[in-house]
Amino acid sequence: MLKIDNLHVEVDGKPILNGINLEVNAGEVHAIMGPNGSGKSTLAYVLAGRDGYEVTGGQILYRGQDLLELAPEVRAAEGVFLGFQYPVAIPGVSNIYFLKAALNAIRKHRGQDPLDAIDFMKLSKEKAALVQLPDQLTKRSVNDGFSGGEKKRNEIFQMAMLEPLLAVLDETDSGLDIDALKVVADGVNALRSPERAMLVITHYQRLLDHIVPDVVHVLIDGQIVRTGNKELAQQLEAEGYAEVRDAMHP
Amino acid sequence: MTAEPQTLLESLPRAFDAGPQWLRSVRESAADALRTGGLPTKKTEAWRFTPVRHVADAAFASTDAAIPSIDGRLPEGVTVRRLSEVFSTDPGLLEGRLGRQASEHFAALNTALFEDGLWLHVEAGAVLDTPIHIAHALPASPDRSVSYPRLLVTADPGSESTLIETYRGTSSDALTNSLVEIEVGKNASVRHVRVHENTGLQVGRVDVRQEADSRYRSVVVTLGGALLRLDVRALLDGPGAECRLDGAYLADGSDHVDHHTLVEHRAPHCRSDQVYRGIASGKGTAVFDGIVVVHRDAQKTEAHQENRNLLLSETATVHTKPHLEIDADDVVCSHGATVGSLDDGQLFYLRARGIPLDLARAMLTFAFIEQVVDEVPDDETRATLREAVLARIPEGESVRDVT
Repeated sequence: MLKIDNLHVEVDGKPILNGINLEVNAGEVHAIMGPNGSGKSTLAYVLAGRDGYEVTGGQILYRGQDLLELAPEVRAAEGVFLGFQYPVAIPGVSNIYFLKAALNAIRKHRGQDPLDAIDFMKLSKEKAALVQLPDQLTKRSVNDGFSGGEKKRNEIFQMAMLEPLLAVLDETDSGLDIDALKVVADGVNALRSPERAMLVITHYQRLLDHIVPDVVHVLIDGQIVRTGNKELAQQLEAEGYAEVRDAMHP
Repeated sequence: MTAEPQTLLESLPRAFDAGPQWLRSVRESAADALRTGGLPTKKTEAWRFTPVRHVADAAFASTDAAIPSIDGRLPEGVTVRRLSEVFSTDPGLLEGRLGRQASEHFAALNTALFEDGLWLHVEAGAVLDTPIHIAHALPASPDRSVSYPRLLVTADPGSESTLIETYRGTSSDALTNSLVEIEVGKNASVRHVRVHENTGLQVGRVDVRQEADSRYRSVVVTLGGALLRLDVRALLDGPGAECRLDGAYLADGSDHVDHHTLVEHRAPHCRSDQVYRGIASGKGTAVFDGIVVVHRDAQKTEAHQENRNLLLSETATVHTKPHLEIDADDVVCSHGATVGSLDDGQLFYLRARGIPLDLARAMLTFAFIEQVVDEVPDDETRATLREAVLARIPEGESVRDVT
C-alpha cells in the first residue's frame, strides 16, 4: 500500500527527515514512535501534502502511484487520511456541511453520485456514535470551541465518514485523558480492516496499549533506527528514548 | 427646481420659502454649512481615501422626489406618513426631530434639498410582528441624476421593530444621497438592516439617537458599488443603552466602498459592539473607519470594535482605521483590525479532507462574510443575501452546490 524509499525532507533549508524507509501493507497497523523533534509530524504532513516541506530525495509510492505528485485533495480522494495533531478551527463552516462537501468531493473523484441529504445524515449519525460525538457538535463550526478531546473524536469521526485506505494518525493521543483516549482508540479499532492500513504516530506507548500495532518503528533524528513488534514499544517506555539514541551514538 | 443639470452646490436655492418655519431654518443652516464648507475634498480627513471630486464637479439632473416605498404588508403598531403631508397637516410635529443633528457635506445637502420622504412612527409598547420593508428604487435612467431619499424613524418607548432597507439601482452615473434618522426611545428596540445592491454612486448617513435602556442593532450589507460611502452614527444618550453595528462589504472589479462608524457614549452603563468584515478583490477598494468616543461622564462603558478584511488580489486595496477616544476612566474598551489572505492552515485542513482548492477557498471566503449575514434578523432577507454574496465571490456557485 505504502512504500517510502530513502525519503529526505527539509523545512526552511533544515534537514528534518534523513532517509526514511518504510513499507506498510493493507491490513497492517504500524506505530511510529519517537521523541519530540524527531520528525514524526513532518512525515505525517509530507504524506498528506502540506506546503512548506521540501522533499530533497527519495520517493513515496502509494498503491503504485507517486504520492508526491498528487495535490492534497487528490491524495484524500485516493484514500489517504491525516488525523491532525492540532485540528484547526474553521469558524463559520459547520462540521456537517464541511464533511458533506468532503465526502461528495471524494465520491465525485471516484465517479460516484453525491450522497443525498437523507443518506448523508443517516451515515453521519451512525459514525458519530462510533466515537460518541454529541449530535450538536456535528452542527457546530468545525472544531470551533471544541475541547481537546472533542477535536480528536471529531478527527476519528471524519475518518469513519471518509473511509480511507491509509490513515495517518498524528499524536491522536495528545491532550486526551484516559477515558477520552479509550473512546478514540475504540473508534480507531472499529475501523481496522484487512483493506485498510494505519500509521499511528505517537510519543508515548500508552496509546499502543489500546491500538495494538503489528509493527513498531522508532524515529530519531529523522531516521528509523529500530523496527520491532509491540514489545519494542514497551521496552521504549521502560528505558526511554535516550537508551536508543545512546546506542546509535556511543 | 430647474430641469437643467447643475452641480450639486449650484443646485442649492438662494432662499428656502416652502414648508414650516423651523424646517426652513434647518435647511438654511444646512445650506450655509455647504456654502462655507463645501463638499469634501481630498484634504478632508474623513474623506481621505474616498475622493469625490468627480461627484462634486459633475452636473446632475434632479429626479422626481424619491419617495421610498413600503414593500409588502405593514405590521400593526406603526404609522407611515409622507413628510410633505406631515409638514402641511401638522407643521410643528417634527420640529426638533427631523434634522436635529447639525450636519455638513452630503448630509447637509440632503437636508437642504430633499423634497419628500417618510416618517415611520412606532407606537409606544408596540411589538411589531413582521419587519417593515423599505425599498429605495434608485434612478435607472442613463443620465446623471441625483436623488435624496429621506427617512425619519421614531420608535416610542418600549416598542420593538425591525426595519429592512434595500437600496437597488443599476445606473452607474446616478447619485443617491440618503439620510436616515432614527430615534430609539426608552427601553425600545430597533433592528435595522440596510442592503446596498447598487452599481452607482451612493452616499448615505444613518443618525441614531438612543435613550435609556434602548437597543439598536444594525446590519449593513454592501454588495459592491462604483462609489459607496455610508456613515452610521449612534449616540448613546441614556444610561443602559446598547448598540451593535455589524457590516459586511464586498469590493470587486473597480468598486469603491467606504464605511464609517461613530459611536458616542454620552451616558454611563452603555455598551457598544461593532463587527465589520469585508472582502476586497479585483481592483476594488474597501475603507473602514470607526470611532468610539467615550465622554467623561460615561463611566462603566463597554465598547468593542473589530474590523477584519480579506484581501484576495494584489490589485485590491484596504484601508482600515478603528480608533477610540476615551475621556472616562472606568471603562472596558477594545478595538482591532486585520487585513489578510485566507488562512493556510484552514485551507490545508479542507484540502486534506478531499475538498478541491477552489472550493476550499470559496467556502472560507463565504464563511467569512456569512458570519455577518447570519446576524440579519429576517429569514427571507438572509436567504436572499446569502445568494447575492455567493453570486459575487469567486467560485461561489460551487459552494451553493455543496450546501
